[in-house]
This record gives sequence, C-alpha cells and structure tokens, in this order.
Amino acid sequence: MVCRQQILQRNLPDMLFTNMQKRRLLNKTALNLSSMIDVTFLLLIYFIATTVFTPSEDMLSPALKVEEGVTSQEQNFEPQIVTVTLYEAKPAYLLGEQVIHDRKQLAAIISRLPHAPGIIIRVENNVPIGFAIAAVQESRNAGFERVTYVPASD
Amino acid sequence: MVFKGSNSRVIIPIVDMTPMIDIVFLLIIFFMVAAQFAQQAHVNLDLPNEVGEQKEGKTKNTLVINILDNGSIVVDNSQGAISIEDIDDIVGEAVNIEGVLWKNITIRADENAQTGVLNEVLVILSKHGLSATNIATESP
Repeated sequence: MVCRQQILQRNLPDMLFTNMQKRRLLNKTALNLSSMIDVTFLLLIYFIATTVFTPSEDMLSPALKVEEGVTSQEQNFEPQIVTVTLYEAKPAYLLGEQVIHDRKQLAAIISRLPHAPGIIIRVENNVPIGFAIAAVQESRNAGFERVTYVPASD
Repeated sequence: MVFKGSNSRVIIPIVDMTPMIDIVFLLIIFFMVAAQFAQQAHVNLDLPNEVGEQKEGKTKNTLVINILDNGSIVVDNSQGAISIEDIDDIVGEAVNIEGVLWKNITIRADENAQTGVLNEVLVILSKHGLSATNIATESP
C-alpha cells in the first residue's frame, strides 16, 4: 500500500516549481537522519561497553632506610623489627622468635607492641610485594606513626 | 499528526530529536577521548589491595615507576621496560629538579612481583637522598 507521503515524495521533483503552496512541502523531509542515529547509537554503545574505569588508587608512605642505618641510636629505644622473608618455602613474618604466616595474626601481635619507638619492616628479596606491603598497611592500621621500610641486603 | 485540508497532509514530528543527537555525539567524543588518554598514561597492574593512608590533597606526581609482575620496570609506557641503571639516571634527574621531594615520586608495583626489584629501586631512591617513599595501592 502506498501512503500519501510516498506519493508526495515521488512526485516532489515535478512539483518543485509549480506553485507556492507546494514549494512549502520542500522543508518537511529533506534529509532522512534515521540511519545516522542508528550508527551513532551503535558507536556509543560500543564505547560504553569497552571503556574500563580504573579503580581509585591510594598511597602508603613508609620511611625508607638502607640496612646499614637500621640500628641508629638517636633515641634510647630500638624499634621493633618485622622481617618479611620465606620460611620453609612460604612467605612469613618473623618477629623475634615468632613466625607468623597470617596477616590477621600479625596485626594482633603488632598492635600490642609499644608505638613510640616505631616499627621497621625489613623485607628480603624473595617475597611477593603484596605480602610485604600488607605488613606496612597493618603497621599503619595499628597506629604506628613511624613505619620504616628497610630493603634487606643479602 | 496535523491534517491540513483534504488534498495535502502535513506530518510534523511529535518529539524533536535534535538536542538528543547533540548529547549523544558529546558522549561519544567523551568516551573516545577518555579511552585514548587512559590507555596512554596507565600501566595495567594488580596493585596491592590495601586501603592506604587516605591522604587528602595528593601532591603532583613528577615520576611514576611501575614494576610489573615479571620484574620489569616501566617509567614511560611508550618506551617499554628499562634497566636498573636507567632508573638510577632517571631518579637522579628527577631529584635534581628544584622542589622535587619523595612525595612527588610514586612506585606502582604489582602485588605478585618479587620484592627483589622493588628493593633495588628503593635502594636507588635512598642513595639519592630520599627519606621516604610512596607505594601505590588499590582501594579494596
């Protein structure tokens, strides 16, 4: 079935300069934009689907010292030292005689230490970085103001 | 639909789509540009999942050192991996710029990388007189 609009469009070129009344019809459907809108929406959906939003980042800012400077005597206190290393092929935290594999256990133990002297996280070379950084985070969470990261010299 | 006389029919659109098309194009351009900048600037890493220190007012990042999970070090994404000696030179240049402190240097290290490379980088930072370090974490 052919609608009146299609008849109008088909006959439009002939009607262009016939009379003033029919010339007004020129302005009605000069350019069909529906295809462009379809493509535009497709592009938009593509970019929305492929955009990856990166998660927000924060910082840990421990003080930094190399191994020779650990036992400085600027105060009468000696900071507590947590050594992050491999113990029996598994990453572990060594605090004095204690060997701790679990992060929550480490948090519980260091929270009982005095905060004034600060804490030193001595990290050896063969441990995952996430494991070492967890020790720094737990020290901050426990309330230590002075947290020092010491790369161990093997 | 508006009917005008018995011989001609005028079709007027009910909803004018012009502003919507403008907005859609703006969104497209935004996503195109955002995707480009994000790809260029960011090295994809699994940062340690830690809360961090929740500092407000982040200082300007003069130098970002990325440590990938395979132990390679990347500073400029377009140049690829560089050696420890190059890091030594780059840190030396950064520190010589006036006003650059440890706060302006950030280390983004993959949580699965070994601490050996991180320790070497930190020894270099310490050698250049930096008393502390910024280690990036990903908010869990």
